[in-house]
Amino acid sequence: MIYVLYFIVFLICIYTARHYWFTLNRLFGFQRHPYIDIDTASWPLVTVLVAAHNEEKVISNILGALMTVKYPEDGMLVIPVNDRSTDGTRAIIDEFVARFPGRIQPFHRVSGKGGKAAALKDAMELVKTEVILIFDADYIPGAGLIKQLVAPFFDPEVGGVMGRVVPLNVGTNLLTRLLDLERTGGYQVDQQARMNLRLVPQHGGTVAGVRLSALREIGGWNDRSLTEDTDLTYRLLLHGWKTVYQNRSECYEEVPETWAVRIKQIMRWAKGHNQAMVTYGLRLLLGKHRATLRERIDGALLLGVYAMAPVTLLGWALALAVFFQGIAPLHGVIALFALTAYAALGNLAAFFEIAAAARLDGTRKRICLLPFLILGFAVSIFSVSRAALSQISDLVTGAELHWDKTERFRKAL
Amino acid sequence: MNSSLAVAALILFVSLMLVLPLVPAFVELKRKSDASPLNVVQQHAGEIRHFANSFRTYIQVLGPTLQQCVASGATAVGTLPDGVEYLALGRCDHSQTLPIQQPGAICQVTIAAGSDLVVPPEITFLRDVYAGGRFKGGDNNSYRAILGEKDVHLGRSSRVTRWVHAVGEFSADHDCKLSGRISSDSCIRLQGACNFLRLNAPQIETGHIMPGKDPTRLSSEHDAIAGSGVVQRFLYDGDFEVHAGEVVSGNIVARGKLQIGSGARICGSVKSVGDMVLGAGVSVQGSLISGKQMLIGPDCAVNGPIIAERALHISAGTRCGSFQHPTTVSAPRIEAEEGVAVFGTLWAREYGEVVAS
Repeated sequence: MIYVLYFIVFLICIYTARHYWFTLNRLFGFQRHPYIDIDTASWPLVTVLVAAHNEEKVISNILGALMTVKYPEDGMLVIPVNDRSTDGTRAIIDEFVARFPGRIQPFHRVSGKGGKAAALKDAMELVKTEVILIFDADYIPGAGLIKQLVAPFFDPEVGGVMGRVVPLNVGTNLLTRLLDLERTGGYQVDQQARMNLRLVPQHGGTVAGVRLSALREIGGWNDRSLTEDTDLTYRLLLHGWKTVYQNRSECYEEVPETWAVRIKQIMRWAKGHNQAMVTYGLRLLLGKHRATLRERIDGALLLGVYAMAPVTLLGWALALAVFFQGIAPLHGVIALFALTAYAALGNLAAFFEIAAAARLDGTRKRICLLPFLILGFAVSIFSVSRAALSQISDLVTGAELHWDKTERFRKAL
Repeated sequence: MNSSLAVAALILFVSLMLVLPLVPAFVELKRKSDASPLNVVQQHAGEIRHFANSFRTYIQVLGPTLQQCVASGATAVGTLPDGVEYLALGRCDHSQTLPIQQPGAICQVTIAAGSDLVVPPEITFLRDVYAGGRFKGGDNNSYRAILGEKDVHLGRSSRVTRWVHAVGEFSADHDCKLSGRISSDSCIRLQGACNFLRLNAPQIETGHIMPGKDPTRLSSEHDAIAGSGVVQRFLYDGDFEVHAGEVVSGNIVARGKLQIGSGARICGSVKSVGDMVLGAGVSVQGSLISGKQMLIGPDCAVNGPIIAERALHISAGTRCGSFQHPTTVSAPRIEAEEGVAVFGTLWAREYGEVVAS
């Protein structure tokens, strides 16, 4: 028991150190934005896939925005992937098709397997271009975003591109404000530090792009995955393709406004991530492929982030058990030093990262909300642990993983 | 003090300490003083001409005044709506000469000329300058910004701190320091020892251009990336060398250093994580990307974007892009020898310089 506890403490220390490494790199290291200056080029043909399942509240916003972006009109085709919608999504899409002839080609999917990956997989029959961009329907791209996301594909090593997600409905309530802080830390520090350090920036599946030839090489979209973005990141990596992150390619999204929706969302992410960990973890660390050593280590740590929630809970339980059994895990002063060091540095790591991210964004007063993040973390740790347990139970019973769509809150225009 | 009071005091103190950090949190939650979304620019796409276009709109209010000045051959002074003083000059028979003549003078007003404008040497302009016709600046001048409706020429050792846009050709004599954005709808010509940051024009030339290899003869970058067919990828985990005269069809990715021998021809794009060196006369159909430094030898022709994450040296006779396929050349530090042609954007994030070949 005591050795399991030691191992858990060791893992927590690694993730703590990782938080600090990323934050310090972001604050003081060399920042890589290699493709952001490409403003003049012979822009390639690009297909923009907009995944939509019952998106009548938001679909017109993104289609309207895409029709005004600064990209050669004859070089960009928008394909709204209407996945078995039962609301007014189809009618709205068809109205846009009529308004912008030749620029939007709808893909109305009325049957088939559920989930974004399955819908994208079916929509690929319409895709003829080497560069594909993907957006969820609640996103609102700015005028320059398409060029910014296409630019990295001039690099022949790049298989995937990820832009930065910025919450639009920040001020709605405490949850949206906490999610805004989490997103800030995740993109402004985590993703950009991985880009700087040539590690594994994660493909987010939206505000993102993929190279068709790379996608074909890795076997296309995996419709068995709950998080097709994580799955894509690792398959690209294992085949020697890079995913790059563009911190200045920002795009508004809508974050969940109720805890129930948030819990559902994070449970799906956790299950998908854990699924990828089981599928690719060992192969990434030990297999024969083109990833570098630092990519193997960072990739493995990234795969483990959601698994750390139940591991941490187990650690707490073991610590209590050890205490009540009267076992001293470390002796005297060493134990005291370890506890003090962790209380001072370990607990601070995530907060330090988010505060640094908010500072880099030039926002100041929202940092005051940091203490409330404990609430968000508490909800996350129990939801993610619940997801892991349910996943194990599904594995035992042979139940299939189920894909849940995130509910939208925007008022229809 | 009895023990129960002490315990109560301790509990109260600890509770206070716990609640203390939550006070500003509750205040911010209630007041929502920083609850708006991060400002993402939705409409502005980073165009180099953004400031020039804004200035043109800003100065439109002077249109009638300038027309009167041109018609009467007079000058006018006044104040713009935001309180900035201006000097309007107008004569249509020949070039205007600025009334300020003494060397070392500082001009603190916005200058707007309805026709050609000639500026004497050694003047500092603290405000923007507008020329309805050609603009010719004397030596050793300092400018904040210039908008010229025709050609703009800066004299030797001039300095620009913000931007210049020329509807016609932009040219700068030796030793000019061009900070900010320099753009032209026609051509930019920089003489030796000029410093630059961001340049954009259909054609950018450093020094005197000799007729060189025409990149338009290469297949377009459009084909290379858009994939009219499958482009093969050659991936090497360490250093790699393409031998002189070799022809490679496909994209090359080297995880180490990459050397391309003289006269080699790459029908695809090239990437190296380490340094990249191109010999003389190399032609590349697609893009060139280096994770560190890049040295492009003389008389090379590259069709696609050129990106070096640390530094870039371009030798004389090299042509980047073409009129048909404009491109971007970017690195934190760029040295371009005299005799280089870039069609599109030449962008040095930290420091760019025209050096002798």
